[in-house]
Amino acid sequence: MILEIKNLKKVYGDKTVVNIEHLKIGKGETVGLVGNNGAGKTTFFRMLLDLIRPSEGEVLSKDENVMKNDSWKNYTASFLDEGFLIDYLTPEEYFVFIGSLHGLSAADVSAYLSRYGEFFNGEILNSGKYIRDFSKGNQNKVGIAAALMQTPEILILDEPFANLDPTTQIRLKKLLKEQTGNMTTFISSHDLNHVTDVCNRIILLEKGQVIKDFQTDDNTLKELENYFSV
Amino acid sequence: MLITFLSHQSKSFWRSRNKGGSIAAQIILGFFMLYFFVVALGIGFGMAYFLPEIFPDQNVIKSFNGIILYYFALDFIMRLQLQELPTMSVVPYLHLKIKRSQIISFLNVKALFSAFNLWPFFLFLPFIFIRITGAYGIFVALMYIVSIFSIAVFNNYCVLYLKRKTITNVLYTGIGLLIIAGFVALEYYRVISIMAASDHVFKAIVAYPYLGFAFALAAFLMFKINSHFLEKNLYIEELSSKQEKKVSTDYAFLNRFGKVGELAALELKLILRHKRSRSSVILGFFFLLYGFFFYKTPAINGDKFGQMMFGAIFMTGISIIIYGQFMFAWQSSHFDGLLSAKINFKDFIKAKFLLFTIGSTIITVLASFYGFLSPKLLLLQLAAYLYNIGFGTVIVLYLATLNYKRLDINKAASFNYQGTSATQFLLMIPYALTPILLYVPFGIMNIPYWGLMAVALFGLIMLFLRGFWVNFITAKFEKQRYKIAEGFRE
Repeated sequence: MILEIKNLKKVYGDKTVVNIEHLKIGKGETVGLVGNNGAGKTTFFRMLLDLIRPSEGEVLSKDENVMKNDSWKNYTASFLDEGFLIDYLTPEEYFVFIGSLHGLSAADVSAYLSRYGEFFNGEILNSGKYIRDFSKGNQNKVGIAAALMQTPEILILDEPFANLDPTTQIRLKKLLKEQTGNMTTFISSHDLNHVTDVCNRIILLEKGQVIKDFQTDDNTLKELENYFSV
Repeated sequence: MLITFLSHQSKSFWRSRNKGGSIAAQIILGFFMLYFFVVALGIGFGMAYFLPEIFPDQNVIKSFNGIILYYFALDFIMRLQLQELPTMSVVPYLHLKIKRSQIISFLNVKALFSAFNLWPFFLFLPFIFIRITGAYGIFVALMYIVSIFSIAVFNNYCVLYLKRKTITNVLYTGIGLLIIAGFVALEYYRVISIMAASDHVFKAIVAYPYLGFAFALAAFLMFKINSHFLEKNLYIEELSSKQEKKVSTDYAFLNRFGKVGELAALELKLILRHKRSRSSVILGFFFLLYGFFFYKTPAINGDKFGQMMFGAIFMTGISIIIYGQFMFAWQSSHFDGLLSAKINFKDFIKAKFLLFTIGSTIITVLASFYGFLSPKLLLLQLAAYLYNIGFGTVIVLYLATLNYKRLDINKAASFNYQGTSATQFLLMIPYALTPILLYVPFGIMNIPYWGLMAVALFGLIMLFLRGFWVNFITAKFEKQRYKIAEGFRE
């Protein structure tokens, strides 16, 4: 078990946005978080990353409370939205900066990036643009690639498929599937096809609460479609 | 790591979106900055000479000691309103493998990069070197510098701490200014004297120079309190300055104007709910003091309205000038939405006229306190007011249709020149020149009141022609709207 959530609650005013009693995530699991807008997915992710102070409860990463200690940052990589990017840097500068945090040299970084030529579709590197000048889809790619570069034990991506073109969506799925093994992945998505395809466990959130939590099999997609077609 | 952060900051400054766009604007702004620093330095060097003039019956050094605490009280209030919390800049780092303590020390260092921390040096250092060193020796002078530096640092972190902890709003700043004004009054009537207190404090430093370290200690403690608070609360939603609860508002007085009133209400909300536009409004109130520079006794006595015209136009029209210079661009983030919505462009333009008229009327009413200096000034201001709402609005709105520069209203307010271009500086030329040119012939013929009449009449005629001007601007706007929208999308 790598992540444990205990009685996690976030309340804004009189509205409970997240309310998760107990959740355990094992090593190497690929977990898909689904739910409609306002289900609390992003708030939950932000609490996992200690970006929002929970109203109650705690998030334990390798048995340590993420609020108390920074060590989870050593093995956790994430990309939730464009706010995570330093948008006035060029992509290269950004990658080198992220790499340097994990002890990678500029040469290591460019070696790593060379594997991503296909994923980037030749639009990201040496483009002579700042990150903020890219389209949302390309900004997403930068964020996702930077997260994967950290070879994390825990990877957290919020709607990684949004804004991506179909080709890149398929490439991203391939990338995510290849990475499994040691890495625990947390993905949220509105695209049921993609999550059921990539993830081996699905958690369904509604109004901040876990409604369903199950392993994916052949019937999963049907089951989810039934739930959402109400 | 700190070095990396700082290099990122400098990149963010030099690569800011509008950097290359308008070199002319940059140069003019550069001059403005330079101008302010030169002024501060001038005051600093001049202090030895004009302090005896202002306080003739006391020793220069006593006067100097006396103003230090006043300065820092004012400094504190101004910081409360203007100093930005360096918070958002850390968002991209929070989730990365970076220690919390490193992020906090970055926030602390970044907070020092504020013009407020530079002023005291320009203002006080020259006097310290010129007079204090001579009178008490180098060591005492050094302790003066330590004390002044420490108070600046103390103010710096104290304001950040307060802003993070409590709701700050314009009201508090107003109250603070009133309190200071109260102390000035008490000082004047010799009830309580902050100057004497300030003098005592610095006399003590002269007598026991090591006391200066007490300020340093206080500054260090404040720094620690602030860091400790950050350590405990490094969450973005909690760090940015606390906000009051938002409520829906309805401006009943605008309802009578129908669709136009609705649009004006929409824009009023835009002004009041964004920091940048709000500080423009506050700036407008500060400019009410402008009259004291322009309304000189000889000019008033000699009916030299030409000299005072600029001041009057500027004061009564400040809301039009300041808000109007970025007209349409204020709405750039949702300009496409406005264009595609069911809004009659004529109503849209009318709403702007309405808003300008209301703003200018309020300011003119407030500025009527200059009537105490001389009732003549009321006539002058009335003429200026009529000109502003009659013709000034037209100039501003016409130039607005030529402005394609996007302005991100959510970005920080002070020292943010996004959306600035040479147009804004050129705006003032026709705006201020027209009424002065109208007045000049009458001034030369020495019939100044006829001159005021001419300006007022001109404004009034334009006001009656407003229907024509609305159509004129609307037509221009319809032609330009694609270009404007394209510019705002960038």
